[in-house]
Amino acid sequence: MPGATATPDVEVIVEDARGGGGGGGRPPDGGDGGDDGDYGKGWQREPPSPRRFSTGIAIAMVSILMFFMALASAFLLLHHSSRVWVAVHLPRILWANTAVLMGSGFVLERSRLRLSNGDARGFRKLWLVATVMGLLFVAGQLVAWRQLVAEGVYIASDQASSFFYIFTGAHGVHLLGGVAALLFVLLRNFEKSQISMSLAAEITSYYWHFMDGLWIFLFALLYLGR
Amino acid sequence: MVIHDSGGNHPEKPRESFISRYLFSTDHKTIGLQYLWLALLSVFVGMAMSLVMRIHLAWPEMHIPFLSALGSSPERYATLPVLHGSLMVFLVLTAAPQLGFGNYFLPLQIGAREMAFPGLNLFSLWTTVVSLFGITSAFLIAPQAGITLWIVSVSVFCAATLSSALNFTVTTIDLRAKGMTLPRLPLTVWAWFINAILGMLVFSILLAACLCLLSDRFFSTHFFSAVDFPASPPANVAPGASPVLWQRLFWFFAQAEVYIAMLPCFGIVSHLIATFSRRPVWRERLVVLALCGVGLVGFCVWGQHMFSSGLNPFSPLVFSVLAASLGLPATILLVSWFAALWNARFQLNTSLLFALGFVSLFLSGGISGLFLARHDFTSASVTEDFVTGHFHLVMGVAATFAILAALFFWFPKLFGRRLNEPLGKLHFWLTFAGVYAVFMPMHWLGLGSHVANNPGANLAAIRSWIGPARSFITAGIVITVFAQAVFLFNFLWSLFFGDRVEEHNPWRATTLEWSMASPPPRHDFGAPGPVVYRGAYAFAVPGVAQDYIPQHVAPDRVVKAN
Repeated sequence: MPGATATPDVEVIVEDARGGGGGGGRPPDGGDGGDDGDYGKGWQREPPSPRRFSTGIAIAMVSILMFFMALASAFLLLHHSSRVWVAVHLPRILWANTAVLMGSGFVLERSRLRLSNGDARGFRKLWLVATVMGLLFVAGQLVAWRQLVAEGVYIASDQASSFFYIFTGAHGVHLLGGVAALLFVLLRNFEKSQISMSLAAEITSYYWHFMDGLWIFLFALLYLGR
Repeated sequence: MVIHDSGGNHPEKPRESFISRYLFSTDHKTIGLQYLWLALLSVFVGMAMSLVMRIHLAWPEMHIPFLSALGSSPERYATLPVLHGSLMVFLVLTAAPQLGFGNYFLPLQIGAREMAFPGLNLFSLWTTVVSLFGITSAFLIAPQAGITLWIVSVSVFCAATLSSALNFTVTTIDLRAKGMTLPRLPLTVWAWFINAILGMLVFSILLAACLCLLSDRFFSTHFFSAVDFPASPPANVAPGASPVLWQRLFWFFAQAEVYIAMLPCFGIVSHLIATFSRRPVWRERLVVLALCGVGLVGFCVWGQHMFSSGLNPFSPLVFSVLAASLGLPATILLVSWFAALWNARFQLNTSLLFALGFVSLFLSGGISGLFLARHDFTSASVTEDFVTGHFHLVMGVAATFAILAALFFWFPKLFGRRLNEPLGKLHFWLTFAGVYAVFMPMHWLGLGSHVANNPGANLAAIRSWIGPARSFITAGIVITVFAQAVFLFNFLWSLFFGDRVEEHNPWRATTLEWSMASPPPRHDFGAPGPVVYRGAYAFAVPGVAQDYIPQHVAPDRVVKAN
């Protein structure tokens, strides 16, 4: 018993929960289905509950929201205090982009419905459509940048244009993270994973809808701040 | 990297290579220790910088061997306070109590086997290393490039802190052992948890501010342009550019950052005082609420740094009231500590000494904080010496004392050896006297130059003591810095030759980390995992043979008193 050399009054109650030389070495049962690196080693406990992924994404979203709120408050402050606010002419294509992104969120939900009905093929097909629509949105944003550049509006032109590029750029980077997550769900073999496909799809869809809502907020801010 | 070998606990496991074991280990214990090593390195670099600064202030002509070769332009002096501050605040005060001890002990104290996302944890460690490297090398390169490098490093540090805060929060929410309900969490875990949430919120803001700043520098946008040219803005500066914007974003982060450094220290000190006074924490629920209150109010008081920057006339009053209302949770914490210590039969070891030192510094620093919370006082040109003295006492030094208390407390668990007690006490008394000798006169300097602004002040009399006071401070800091050699020696010597701790629980503490070997085996609790039966501070329970009951001991195994 490991506590044996403890001070005399301790061993009375301190009963080592696990017994045996600290670590209770059960032999490794030789690679049980190759889990995600850190958790797949024989004698250990089961990996912690996959609930941690949903919690994690919720907290990450709060943090991302805070990041964009800081940018938005900077926008409002400068817009409010500036005497000469040269508004950016927002390219028309942004409306189309917004529609594509919202459509992608809708398709994603249809796709998850297929999965819950047990239609894995239909799920993959629709999920792929949603992913492509996400990429289309990013491409559309790039087109909007090109149009502004063609008009001679650069990031350093004035404060409004700086905010336009910063907002769309930061949102685009976060959205590309979402696209990567969508592709991950599509391509990953979930038989060997700690997390089921439906849970992965659910968590990814939270983030995707969050990106959707965030874009509408930023777009409204830019539109109303003209 | 000197990490005690615990490989003997798993004879069946093949030894991992050095690289996978130390450099790219996802084990929370290895990562926690690496954070502590980073903090130890940074604290000595940061102290060296403060030493250079004070020597330059007191004896400007003095020749310093290595640094004089770099050329002593005013810019280089100006970089010193920035780098000293960012090293100390980010890599010592944020990293050591939260990321270092938190990574090591949070999973152990809640009975989890790992952090929620070990890979992400490794990512935050290495991004922290990168930012440490960037911040220190910013000193050595040309000023303008150095500033850019500094901003990039700070952004990288934000990313590191955000991902580790995510890890801490999710681990506390989802990975607690069976029976470890929220009211049973040790106060350390509460503090780490609240702190992680606060960090999630404010480091995003600093990241956004840094992004805008980098965009200003790289793409010549005009978010904060006027900051660089306070005297005469050049023609290309946009008319609306606003230094107030930077102040808002920065202080929103930086005021909360003070509490980010302090919160884990509150948790650690409450935990230590309860353990050493052998008493349950006084009004534990109230203390948890006070910790939440510090987090909440700390998030809201950013405006108090901007009293002189032209806010809406009402807001200084609001922020003043908010800042002063921090006194309430602080008082609850203080009362709880004193209530535990009152008439307790505690053993005055070095760990408790440092915890008491923390209480003393927090109290004296907090009193000058009450002055600073008054908006009329702060806007009346109290010079920076008063503020410097205040926040070094309450934040810098106090937090360092809490870190040292935690180190003396957990050293047996970390390395299976004890730190040397007589050397520890010598180090404590030298440092304790030293920091008061350094930072108390700074308050007087600040008040003195305030008085000098009054018409009719006796300037000659004031000038006559300002010079000697500066020299006194510098002499104090030289002695204090060299007293740290005692600690460094004690630390390194004890790592190899300290008294071995054979028992699991040398302090007779109640929390889960003391139920396992020292140092803990690679896979912590092993297969079944611990079960928790009671709160974290079951000291002096009536009718029980011992004066404490560990959290993991089943009720039917507790030995009754005869």
